[in-house]
Amino acid sequence: MRPILLQGHERSLTQIKFNSEGDLLFSCSKDHIINVWFTENGERLGTYDGHNGAVWTIDVDSQSRFLVSGSADNTMRLWSVQSGKCLYTWEFPTAVKRVAFSEDDEQVVCITEQRMGHQGAIRVFKINRDGDGTNQSKEPTSFFYPVGSKAVVCAFGLNNNQIITGHESGKIAIFDAKTGDEVLNNERAHMDVVTDLQLSTDRTYFITSSKDKTARIHDTRTLMVIKTYTTETPLNSAALAPGKPYVLLGGGQDAMSVTTTSLRQGKFETRFWHKIFEEEVGRVKGHFGPVNTIAVSPKGDCYASGGEDGFVRVHHFDESYFRAKPYGEYEIEE
Amino acid sequence: EDAAEESNISAELIAQRKRLVDEWNAWRLRSKEESASEKRHGGKKAASLEKQPKEEAKEEIE
Repeated sequence: MRPILLQGHERSLTQIKFNSEGDLLFSCSKDHIINVWFTENGERLGTYDGHNGAVWTIDVDSQSRFLVSGSADNTMRLWSVQSGKCLYTWEFPTAVKRVAFSEDDEQVVCITEQRMGHQGAIRVFKINRDGDGTNQSKEPTSFFYPVGSKAVVCAFGLNNNQIITGHESGKIAIFDAKTGDEVLNNERAHMDVVTDLQLSTDRTYFITSSKDKTARIHDTRTLMVIKTYTTETPLNSAALAPGKPYVLLGGGQDAMSVTTTSLRQGKFETRFWHKIFEEEVGRVKGHFGPVNTIAVSPKGDCYASGGEDGFVRVHHFDESYFRAKPYGEYEIEE
Repeated sequence: EDAAEESNISAELIAQRKRLVDEWNAWRLRSKEESASEKRHGGKKAASLEKQPKEEAKEEIE
């Protein structure tokens, strides 16, 4: 597996995202910058410049036309992927911690931070895709405050009327995107902060990671926990590998190995776990600090990790990865 | 004796893995059908009862 090191951020990475073709990788960082890279060779294609604070989150639509970002500068921005121009800026009273497009690219959901007398809020915006994208509505189509523990991650669920949220308490919930009603929840999905939430290609299940050192797969319809991956370290990110029965987990370092390894060695790992058997099958080292964010290309041919060390590492899977069947012959449904 | 025990354990493990894969596949097929019908009905209640027999048949193949 040949790694490509993407150097272009000066501070820690907060989120990385592939476009639907998998040929572009978007990255955002505490250095206020969003970058886009060619997945194939790691060359930087461009930069989305304009935020005045840490960029916490990004998402790209399925056509690679619009990019949306959320920042500590209390704005959410819409960008033209191709020209790099900022098309629209929404302003809020607090930082934007998570953004996500709906499956049909028509809507964006965002979470704003709870701070300075402001409750954490979820807003849904209709995206006007006509014209050049600069003519957006300032007002959200819905706006609600989840009661109880604050939401930290979110995504659209099975359909465009449903928002899945992960909370500080470890709770997972589904909200009606129009009314803001909590439709379903699992209060004990995790025992600590949910740090990431990524859906399967068909959106029928999703994986979450948590500071409680586990990652879990949940059924999108019922919120039942289907699988649990128990590690030794608080997790920052979890991703599903299309085409192979693996999940990729990233976080800090085992408490046990901290004393024995030097920070200079790049020992922070992305862990590969078998999706069905809930066992670790491999690790890829490289980062000089915790792994903050992991994404797998929708085609399943490569993955990328973004670290606290400010680097993005892209790994193209080699033939042995596709050939490997560590547990023998099983036909496993995607 | 050790070898006998080992092969016993591995037979058990293999059976367990087979069961886990079967369970996963059964859930995936059920989930895909129910979700497809839910999507067709615009997020309303799933009308998936008529799908049941087909899904059972698929489980058998595994």
